[in-house]
Amino acid sequence: MILLISAAELYSQSGAQDDLFSPNNRLKFANHLYAEKDYLRAIGEYKEFLKSADNDTARFRFANSFLRIGRFDEAAQNFKILFIGSKLEEEAKLFYYQSLFFSKDFNAFQTNYDSRFNFPQKYSLTLDRLNSATYFLSKTNLPSGNVLIKPFDDSLQTKLIYYYLMMKNPPKKNSVTAALLSVAIPGAGKVYTGELTDGLIAFGATLLSGFLAVNNFQHDHNFRGWLFTGLTAFFYGGSIYGSAASAQIYNARLQFNLDSEIKLFFEERNYFLPKIDL
Amino acid sequence: MRKILYILFVVVSTAYSQTDWQKWEAKQVSYELPTKSVAYAQNENASLAGTFLNSLKSAYSFLISDYDGDNCPFSPSCANFFVEAVEETNLLSGTLMFADRFTRDMNVFKGVNHYPLHKSGKYFDPAGNYTLNLQKIKFEMVNN
Amino acid sequence: MFRIRKYFVLLGIFCLQSNYAQSTVETQLAWADKLFASNQYFDAITEYKRVLFFDEQNKLITRVNFRIAECYKAGAHFYEAIKYFALVEKNSLNDSILIEAKLEIIRCNILRKTTERALQLCSEIERDERFYSKRDEINYWRGWAFMFADDWESASKIFAETPANKELKLLCNQVIDAKVSVTFATVISYILPGAGQIYSGKILSGLMSFAWNLAAGYFTVNAFVANRAFDGIVIGELVWLRFYRGNIENAKTFALEKNLEVSNKALKFLQNEYRGLKP
Repeated sequence: MILLISAAELYSQSGAQDDLFSPNNRLKFANHLYAEKDYLRAIGEYKEFLKSADNDTARFRFANSFLRIGRFDEAAQNFKILFIGSKLEEEAKLFYYQSLFFSKDFNAFQTNYDSRFNFPQKYSLTLDRLNSATYFLSKTNLPSGNVLIKPFDDSLQTKLIYYYLMMKNPPKKNSVTAALLSVAIPGAGKVYTGELTDGLIAFGATLLSGFLAVNNFQHDHNFRGWLFTGLTAFFYGGSIYGSAASAQIYNARLQFNLDSEIKLFFEERNYFLPKIDL
Repeated sequence: MRKILYILFVVVSTAYSQTDWQKWEAKQVSYELPTKSVAYAQNENASLAGTFLNSLKSAYSFLISDYDGDNCPFSPSCANFFVEAVEETNLLSGTLMFADRFTRDMNVFKGVNHYPLHKSGKYFDPAGNYTLNLQKIKFEMVNN
Repeated sequence: MFRIRKYFVLLGIFCLQSNYAQSTVETQLAWADKLFASNQYFDAITEYKRVLFFDEQNKLITRVNFRIAECYKAGAHFYEAIKYFALVEKNSLNDSILIEAKLEIIRCNILRKTTERALQLCSEIERDERFYSKRDEINYWRGWAFMFADDWESASKIFAETPANKELKLLCNQVIDAKVSVTFATVISYILPGAGQIYSGKILSGLMSFAWNLAAGYFTVNAFVANRAFDGIVIGELVWLRFYRGNIENAKTFALEKNLEVSNKALKFLQNEYRGLKP
């Protein structure tokens, strides 16, 4: 018995520090941190654990921790490891695409989507929706509208068609038209871009300074005449330039509002992702 | 009761876990009260015209605008807008942009024109929006 | 007999096992404390959390939570710090640790400048008879809260109640004396343009303002005297009034700036040179 006690004592002294850091305890602690959403610390623990053991759930959570804290490349890499022969293969594939999606590398997403192989049926609709979302959010290389809205419920399709048409043919204002209008009538270009009061002020300022220039010349006040001529040119030039700029701002605002609306549409619905707690 | 406490704990622990999603270091907070940043940042890589204008603007500030109150409803103010405009483009375009701004400033109904509000309470109207470069147009407020 | 002995052995091993777990946790705590002492607060929190997780008997919960809160405080994450100090409060077994946690929460509130909350908590503790002996300390922090909220008069009054706080009281009085009156600056600038600016220490600006008002006033009056009423109105409205209004605005702004400078000088002193207890 004495022998046993001393052996145990010896063991406890040598292993005191190591015990909490055994792979098993690492895993337990990692799972606890993961549940607390303390993802960065969880990553540290899972990493140590995975050095000496392999466990699908641990790997999945390791990868998912990266996804949650926005380190998408590392998330994608680790989900990829679970693609073959793992019990979480299906979820890993979906989450792999999520990592690509949230990294905003929509090109990479689309390329991967087009060449997908053996993707689980269970999540294929979710993936199709994510794929459509990449086009709505990036607005480049738009495929046909039907393909984009097909994975969504009928109730949402009207809205999505509207977004699609706005993306394809936004009701933009033309800068050149705006400038030319202001060349003809000072400030008219601003009225064209919807800035009615700015247009009227530009018109009034140009007209008034022009009138004062002519008036002063007629009364032989040459200095004042030239002063107001300069001012007229200033207002006239400003109204032409400003009209072109105003058209651009109009277009940018249109774009900005549409982008915000589309972003909100998908965000509010959490990108149509199923709730998976693993 | 226990359940409620548990739920409370979970809610609390999730609310502040985000702080730790990135490693942080020890940090001392300043005891001092925040001072308003009023300084207009001068562009260090200003062109020759920009440098000239900056000195012109400094002279304008020192001689006139420092004493006539805060009259401009825009941020940046008209004088700063002019300097920014010339720096972003050239003297001719900058002058045209300034003429446009001056005209818009005369518009008493400018509030209807949806300028975003700067945190100083002024209309945010940076020169970049008028350079005819779509990429430079900014709508959201900036922290300066 | 042999059987009984076997049970004894098993029992002995079992006891050792549980002791062993606790000692491991304590070794771990020492390791976390070491990280804490070397200012590696983020890593220290990880290790403290490990202690909490493996401390199955919850023997260390109060101490460790307190430490975690201190780590967050050191990283200026006051929201988290307060949460953990509140956990200490909830689990505290005696009054001494309870009051310590409460005072720490007050100090965090002072540091993040949520003065109202700090003052409210001070009053709460003051009303609690258990902490009667802590009155002076509560007042000390109350004074700090006022200083952080730029209310030096209230701070001075509070510090005056305790002789030990004489140094801080003097500091507050110095600040009060060094500050200028915003109302006075504004009023004298109404009467004599530029005077308020000069009073706040901006002599050149004051003189320029005075010169502009003098010049604009002269031209305005001159125009009216020469019966050029239109010119008079235009110069008066567009030039003189503009500079007159600007002068008053400046008088107020400079006085406020000057006061802010005075406050910040004192707060800087408190942060860097004051030797007493700080939040």
